[in-house]
Amino acid sequence: MERNVVLIALFAALIAALGLLPKFTLASGIPITAQSMGIMLCGTVLGARRGALAVVLFLVLVAAGLPLLAGGRGGLGVFTTPWAGFLFGFPVAAFVGGLVMEKWKSGNTTIVAGVAAIVGGIGALYLVAVPYYMVMKPAGLSEALITAMAPFMPGDLIKAVITGAITGALYKARPASVLSRA
Amino acid sequence: MTTISAQTATVSFVDLSLSFQDKLVLDGLTYLGFGTRIGIVGRNGSGKSTLARVIAGLVVPTAGKVRAFGVDVAKDRKAALETVGILFQNPDHQIIFPTVIEELAFGLAQQGQSRAEARANAQQVLAEFGKSHWQDVSIATLSQGQKHLLCLMAVMAMKPRLLILDEPFAGLDIPTRLQLTGYLTRYEGALIHISHDPEDLRDYEELLWLDQGRIRETGPTQAVLENYLQEMERLGGQDDISDLAS
Amino acid sequence: MISLTSPVRTRAHSWPAGAKLGALAVAGIALFVFDTLPAQLAAFAGMLGLYALPGRLFLRTGMERLWVLWPFVAIIGLFHLVTQTWFEGLLILLRLVTAVGLANLVTMTTPLDDMIAVIRWLATPLRRFGLNTRALELSIALVIRILPTLIDNGQRLIQSWRARSRRRPGWQIVMPFTLLALDDAEHMADALRARGGLVDKKGDFDGT
Repeated sequence: MERNVVLIALFAALIAALGLLPKFTLASGIPITAQSMGIMLCGTVLGARRGALAVVLFLVLVAAGLPLLAGGRGGLGVFTTPWAGFLFGFPVAAFVGGLVMEKWKSGNTTIVAGVAAIVGGIGALYLVAVPYYMVMKPAGLSEALITAMAPFMPGDLIKAVITGAITGALYKARPASVLSRA
Repeated sequence: MTTISAQTATVSFVDLSLSFQDKLVLDGLTYLGFGTRIGIVGRNGSGKSTLARVIAGLVVPTAGKVRAFGVDVAKDRKAALETVGILFQNPDHQIIFPTVIEELAFGLAQQGQSRAEARANAQQVLAEFGKSHWQDVSIATLSQGQKHLLCLMAVMAMKPRLLILDEPFAGLDIPTRLQLTGYLTRYEGALIHISHDPEDLRDYEELLWLDQGRIRETGPTQAVLENYLQEMERLGGQDDISDLAS
Repeated sequence: MISLTSPVRTRAHSWPAGAKLGALAVAGIALFVFDTLPAQLAAFAGMLGLYALPGRLFLRTGMERLWVLWPFVAIIGLFHLVTQTWFEGLLILLRLVTAVGLANLVTMTTPLDDMIAVIRWLATPLRRFGLNTRALELSIALVIRILPTLIDNGQRLIQSWRARSRRRPGWQIVMPFTLLALDDAEHMADALRARGGLVDKKGDFDGT
């Protein structure tokens, strides 16, 4: 019980910290914010339930007025834009990612985690974010795909792959730390 | 202080100051060190760790100059990385990669070696330390002392002319500390060892005593250490532990 | 942890958070219902007026926080320009900025503790669905407590990287960063258990 609460709190803080530290780079030199990787890591490392709760806790704190989103943003404002569907989709992304990790136990951790990150962090996320955008902006499907999906997709794809690599490396360094595989 | 001296000195600073969040952490330090074994001693909070990072070029001073073997470490990062290495206090905050060989090869690859070269050289370093069997070991299975040694090997693999040690042996038991010190003697360059514990520095040539961001005293180790110890005992009889940062 | 509440004290700071949130919800709905240009312009102007009331510093902070929206405004603006639906685009953009502005206004005039109290109040009915509200409160406190340590760890790892490379830190740093966080979690859980743990006794939750 205590362990779960602490893990959830810690990973909520991890998402925040990843947004507050300077951007990381890929080998090719492209800078990326690591925060969305933190969301996906919640799922791949903590599993579906804990991962989703960690993300929800993070969002609650952002809504309460803490500047925890990348770039020191936060507050209620971010939840009122048509892109807020991404925020609401984050816990779903972590949950689905965690589910994939939990159900697909065999196989190389890096690959499973990469797939989990793609299915959750991209599949599930955009399944929430795009319809939300269509309703809230409002916009038609093609417009939503162009303005809400296309700008972010390539970056998210790369981040999903890296999330897989990180999860795999975590598993390699200390298998017990990847709780979704326990 | 001639330019020639500054170029050949192990480390030199002129009017070095560093402010951080309105607090003056280092205050007008001026020093020329020529030895190969220099110690920096002082209380916790005296600015020693910050000074270590400044000498390594990781933190840019707000005023003044710092050079290591003539290299402007803050500006010329390329030369700095070939000249100065730094070993931090806590290996858990230092080790980045999951296996020993990757951690060792990292710095080498960053110095421009190809992946194959870096790997081969890393294996060489392991062999020199008699640790070839560590090659593919996962970091998580290493003990604290072993992690300290790994960090030491990773820094020494880059063959810096100057190696800064920031309280590298804190928290280790005596045998481990002695063993690691033994490995350090392999190192052929200059050492700057930072510690609050005089025992670590007894064999060093000269000592720099840092107190509240200023140089309190420099000179041959024995003399400075005596004064330092006296002062520490004196302070032990007082109660400045009560003082809160304003 | 510094929250986004404005240090410039306004009268709104002492109004109950629940009331402000309720008013925000009503305003949000109204923004969608009253879909005409005059209405949207009035709302936009009203929003700006509210920011101007407490003074220059407040206004500046508020505008800085709205300014970060510019890429989104640009994307939408560009789309509507290209599809020649600029009138529709204008309405949408006005509504977007007004909504964010009003929401941020609530954030800027509501202290963190007040918001957490509202969250606690909202969570109370969920207790019968198994939500451990004491755990919720504790976890909020834990996040705020642990965040500076995590950032510290991150900065040390970044220094370890920069001590050996001229390149910006790579994604590999997230790995030891996560491991350190997991280790801290173990220690904190132990400390928690040693101090009585988290069993939710119904009797002791009454705001104390």
